[in-house]
Formats: sequence, structure tokens, C-alpha cells
Amino acid sequence: MKLVACADALLKADAPERLVAEVPGRRLVLMLIVAGFFYGAVMGSSTLRPLQVLYSGLKVPILLSASSLVCLPNFFVVNTILGLREDFPTVVRGLVSTQLTMALVLASLSPLTAVAYLSSGDYHFAVVFNGLMFFVASVVSHVQLGRVYAPLIRERPRHRVCKVVWLTLYIFVTIQLAWMLRPFIGAPSLPPSFFREGIWDNAYVVVFRDLWTLLTK
Amino acid sequence: MRQLLLDIDRLLRGRYTKPEDLRAGKLSLPARALIFGSLILGSSYGLFMGIYGATRPDDPTVMQLFATTAKVPLLFLLTLVVTFPSLYVLSALAGSRLKFQETLRLLLAAIAINLALLASLGPVVGFFTLSTQSYPFMIVLNVLFFGVSGIVGLAFLRRALRHVFAPKLPTAIEPVDAATQLANLPSHRRSDMGLSVFRGWLVVYGVVGAQMGWVLRPFVGSPDLPFTLFRERESNFLEGFFNALLRLFS
Repeated sequence: MKLVACADALLKADAPERLVAEVPGRRLVLMLIVAGFFYGAVMGSSTLRPLQVLYSGLKVPILLSASSLVCLPNFFVVNTILGLREDFPTVVRGLVSTQLTMALVLASLSPLTAVAYLSSGDYHFAVVFNGLMFFVASVVSHVQLGRVYAPLIRERPRHRVCKVVWLTLYIFVTIQLAWMLRPFIGAPSLPPSFFREGIWDNAYVVVFRDLWTLLTK
Repeated sequence: MRQLLLDIDRLLRGRYTKPEDLRAGKLSLPARALIFGSLILGSSYGLFMGIYGATRPDDPTVMQLFATTAKVPLLFLLTLVVTFPSLYVLSALAGSRLKFQETLRLLLAAIAINLALLASLGPVVGFFTLSTQSYPFMIVLNVLFFGVSGIVGLAFLRRALRHVFAPKLPTAIEPVDAATQLANLPSHRRSDMGLSVFRGWLVVYGVVGAQMGWVLRPFVGSPDLPFTLFRERESNFLEGFFNALLRLFS
């Protein structure tokens, strides 16, 4: 119950980073895992295979947290170089709140995903629908990030550069991590698996090659 | 070690390069800390960069890991050794307030900042190294990261030079000598000089740095070739980079 109250407070907070500072870290991590797992489990349930449900449930929290951890050292240095070190703890708390918001929004969208699966058994529809859900959650979490950054940018406009740097690197890493962690939904023709064959492929190389082939045909 | 990290931290925060100090031609940066800091920061990025050679499916070699760890800081420091005399002469001719040692410290500071940013991108390189087998992608990614961190290092240098070449604030009456006349030039002319020096440094350091990188290759370690400490002398950096780009698409 405390977890639900905490999530409610986070979503309503004007300054989510302040709330993050007040809530114990363990509870924040638990919230991310529970909400992320919930959406992942629903996402992996398109073919009703328990193993795929478990795998997908585990992958969403990994996706949400691992890419942030990879990008944090660079973000720390960029903040320091731009003379914004004093605000760094606030910004990190803001980023935590952003990731939590994303997990919560995804969890709140999971009933829609379940209904979509019930309405159509088509795998490609499931892929597009989940893509749309992730897009919606990303937009909302971006708004949350904007809420965190607005007072900081007002005070020191250089924070805008940091925000752009964070988003660029975070998206760059997240796309590759998401590619590595496939399958999230699980193609009906393939057995459930944690990683798909060709895990060491590179998302960008594949896209560039496909584009190149398309343009030079 | 702790003191070293503190010094790097102070440098990144701009505590060692205050505008008033630069205007007075003073730089209190500890040169030894800058060199050791650069070695450590460059090595840590090299470690991540060399993982590709150590984990490639065909003929993995730990030697590539050790070689790249040593080569990244060397690339920057050797480039400085080669270019410093000409950079110093260029700035002295333009009427820089920095003396020989101060000029060296300023350039070391720019390299340390460059390498600090590069080291912070190490985990990203490590992540992509472990999640991809595409050699051309790793080349392009590393060139991109070297480029981005280089731009930040140059931005620091440009800002510092602006202060170094800024007009002196009027203080007491001084005898008018050549240096004072130079210092009292209209501000736009002095800032033009700062910009010219910066451009000159940029060309010299950029060209030598890129070619030094080419001479010291391999950094990533081509999966088709056995490990060698240095490759044969052939071609140049630009040709190599565009070849990697082409192979990425084809």
C-alpha cells in the first residue's frame, strides 16, 4: 500500500526530485521493478507462454535502469565541465523520478495492451502496439524531465545543454540495449527465450544496412 | 590518488583557470598532476576500447587490451610533445601573456579535460563493445567519441585563450613598452589574435593528432588481422575513417 501511495505522490508532485529525496532508495527501486515487471509480463503474454511472460517481465526493469547507469559517468563529467556540479544531486533525483514515471505509465498502460492482445492475435500488430505504448510512456516521462529541469534552466540556462546531452546519449544507448534484450513480445513461431539469436548484432548497423539496401536497390 | 582526483575535479570545475588568473598570465595548475591524470584517464578509456580485441570471436587477444590501454594516453601526450614547440612559438608571436611553462600547463589542462570526457564515455564504449561484433561500427563510434571530447577540450582552450588575450584592465601608470602597447590594443584586435592563435593551434594539433592516431593504430583491433603493436605505414587517417564508414553501410 505504501508503494501505491508513493507512486501517487510521485505522479502528482510539482517537484518530483524533492519527493525522490524523501523516499527511501529501496522503495524507489522496488517501485521500478514492480511497475516495470508488471508491464513486461503483460507485454510478453501475447502467446500465453509463462516463460516468455517471466522473461519479458524481467527485461523491462533492466532496460529502464541499465541504460541510465551506463550514461551516468559521462553525464556527471558534462555537468562538472559546465559548472553545474552543485545541481547534480538534484538532477540525478530528477532522472530517477523520470525513470519511475516511465515505469508507472507503462504499468498503467498494461490493461490496454492486454485488451489489444485479446482483440488481435497478430504478432506485427502486437509489436506496433507496444511500440506505441513505449512512445506514450517516453513522452510522459519527457514531460516529467522537463518539469524537473524547468527551474534549473531558469536559474542556469546551461542546464539546457545538459538535458540535450543526456537525452542524446540515453536514447543512443537505450536503442542498442533494447535491441540486445529482444524478444520482448516473443514471435509465435519461435520458442520462448531470454535472448534472441544474433544478440551481438548492432541495431544501428542493421538499420543502416537496411536503409542502404533500400536506397541502392 | 585522492589528491589527483581532486585536482582533476578542480580543473573540470574551472577552479584552476579563473579569468582573472588567465588575464594576469598566471596558471597555478600542477603539471605533474595533469600528466598523471591524463595517463590514468586515457588508460581507462583505452581499457574499454581494447575490450573489442580481447573478446572478438576469432583470435581474441589480451595483448590488444594492454596495447590500447597504453596507446590512448600516449596518443595525446605524444601529439603534445610533437606540436608544443610550434604552438608555443605561434602564441608567443601573437603576444600571449603566458610563459613557456604556463602555455604547456594550459595545453595539458585541455588534454586532461578532453581525456576526462573521453573516460566518462568509456562505459558506453564498453557496453557497445560487448553488444556488437561490427568492427566498422566500433571504429565510427570511437572516432565520434574522440571527436566530441576533442570539441569540448577545444572549447575550454578557446575560452582560456580569450582571457589570455583579453585587454588588460587599467591599473597604475606603467612605462609604455612593446608588451604594454600590445596589451592596450583595442579589445577586438586582441580577441582577434586569441582567435587566430586558437585556429592555428587547432590546425596544427588536429592534423598531427589525427595522423598520430593513424601511426599508433590498431586501437580497436581488426577481426581479420592478427594482433600487431603497430600496423604498416600506409594511407592516412581520413582515408581509413571513410573506408570504415563505407564498410558500415555495405
